[in-house]
Amino acid sequence: MNLAVFGKFAAVSFQKEITYRFDYFMAVLNGFLYIFVFTALWRALYAQGAGAGGFSAAGITAYAIMAMAIRISFSMDDTTIAIKVRDGSIATDLIRPVSFFMMNMAQCAGFSAFHTLARGVPILIFSIFLFKVDIPFTARGTALGLLSLVMGYLILFMLNYLFGLIAFWIIEVFPFQLMKYGLLNLLGGSVIPVDLFPASMKPFLALLPFQHIFYTPAAILIGHATPERALVMLTEQAAWVGIMGAASLLFWNAAKSRLVIQGG
Amino acid sequence: METLKIYATLALLSVRARMEYKASFLLFLVAIFFFYLAQLGLLIVVLARFKEIHGWRTGEIAFLFGLATFSQGFTTLFFNALVNFDQMLIQGEFDRTLVRPLSPLGQVVFSRFEASTVAHFFLGTAALYYGAKYSGIEWSLKKDLFLPFVIVGGVMIQSATRLAVSAVAFWTLRNSSLVHIVVFSSREFILYPVSIYNHGVQFFLTFLFPIAFVNFYPAQYFLDKTGENLFHPALQMATPLVGAILFALSLYVWKRGIGHYQSSGS
Repeated sequence: MNLAVFGKFAAVSFQKEITYRFDYFMAVLNGFLYIFVFTALWRALYAQGAGAGGFSAAGITAYAIMAMAIRISFSMDDTTIAIKVRDGSIATDLIRPVSFFMMNMAQCAGFSAFHTLARGVPILIFSIFLFKVDIPFTARGTALGLLSLVMGYLILFMLNYLFGLIAFWIIEVFPFQLMKYGLLNLLGGSVIPVDLFPASMKPFLALLPFQHIFYTPAAILIGHATPERALVMLTEQAAWVGIMGAASLLFWNAAKSRLVIQGG
Repeated sequence: METLKIYATLALLSVRARMEYKASFLLFLVAIFFFYLAQLGLLIVVLARFKEIHGWRTGEIAFLFGLATFSQGFTTLFFNALVNFDQMLIQGEFDRTLVRPLSPLGQVVFSRFEASTVAHFFLGTAALYYGAKYSGIEWSLKKDLFLPFVIVGGVMIQSATRLAVSAVAFWTLRNSSLVHIVVFSSREFILYPVSIYNHGVQFFLTFLFPIAFVNFYPAQYFLDKTGENLFHPALQMATPLVGAILFALSLYVWKRGIGHYQSSGS
């Protein structure tokens, strides 16, 4: 798929998101609601035990805001594949001369671009002033952080893609999505940074890609990860992008041969 | 009496329809259970590290979680249909209930009884039991008698908020984002003791969007938490009253909504 086609798909889904203004304001409110809850929670917790997980009270607030802004920016519509399989419109996608994977990614990218520009960035800037957060932005940290953001986004996209492909086997994908949300909330780092998990759980967490979705980019961007640590985390992230990419390819090939279009 | 029988039949039918696809139902049950367990996991990780949240120890936080989840179970059982209520309006499904000689709300509620809510009851009961045990609640006759009232009050508060935001769809047709924020995101607030928030948020959760009465205030009473009265100690006993008032208000909004409603035409 060339860049022009990718851009076209992305632009269409970007446009679609602009249409619903009421939904947009509600979503902004929702973002602030979460930031209010978690900054209050961390303020209370760090008043009784500062320094946990290597964060200061100000540091954990910066983390909470950054992680939530990333999560908001990474908004995706993860229901499209299942809906297309259910109503059979996936047949049209299959005869298109573009890769199904890339088409989905383009649509997701357009969707997320809207939420990044219209929600994630404004909420981040506003919260930094509201909570008087000091984030020590450095050129190197920001560059590595942006790289990490792109990889985190790819991992989340492929995770959603793989869960979407379940629809080729089981039409009812919602229960699986629900379990995915549970895991993402718990392990993704948008609520609790991985540093605060009990040490005994960390090897288990390393076997899963979740921490590289929100935790890794947030920790690098706010300067919580030391430069050496950041490089290690980026390498792990890159490995996960490779693993998830291979899994996406394998599952897509298996799914394609399973597909039965229901008449109607 | 006749009406009750019809409602019971409707409810039974909706449960049986849900059970028709057993594997799908079981899968759904497991998923809900898993989701809330993950949410509980967040609390466990925090408590393992910090031992307490603003003076509330593990057992007490479990009690909070239990009250919220248990009353949410009842709310979901009755009012789950309202989560997608705007779709019922948009597709014209709601119009059918208007031409029948029964309360439209009753029909909506009883035709979509949500059996999967057993997951809430199971988790809620377990959390309440564990919470009560490990926080060393000193039960008294007064507390025993008050508990069911608190549950009913909590259910009425949560149901009232659902009913009121669903009624918004009578005016706007689309309201799914509003439902999402009121029904699901707001739960996040009351997983933690309300005393951690600043005064503005505390005021909001007490007087404007009073979900703090679902678990926080009554839990203060049951756990004998003195010394952190937010506005007035009497609030600890106010859950049933707040529930009754809110529910009556939301029914009024719903009635006004039906009065205003014009079919989408589809």
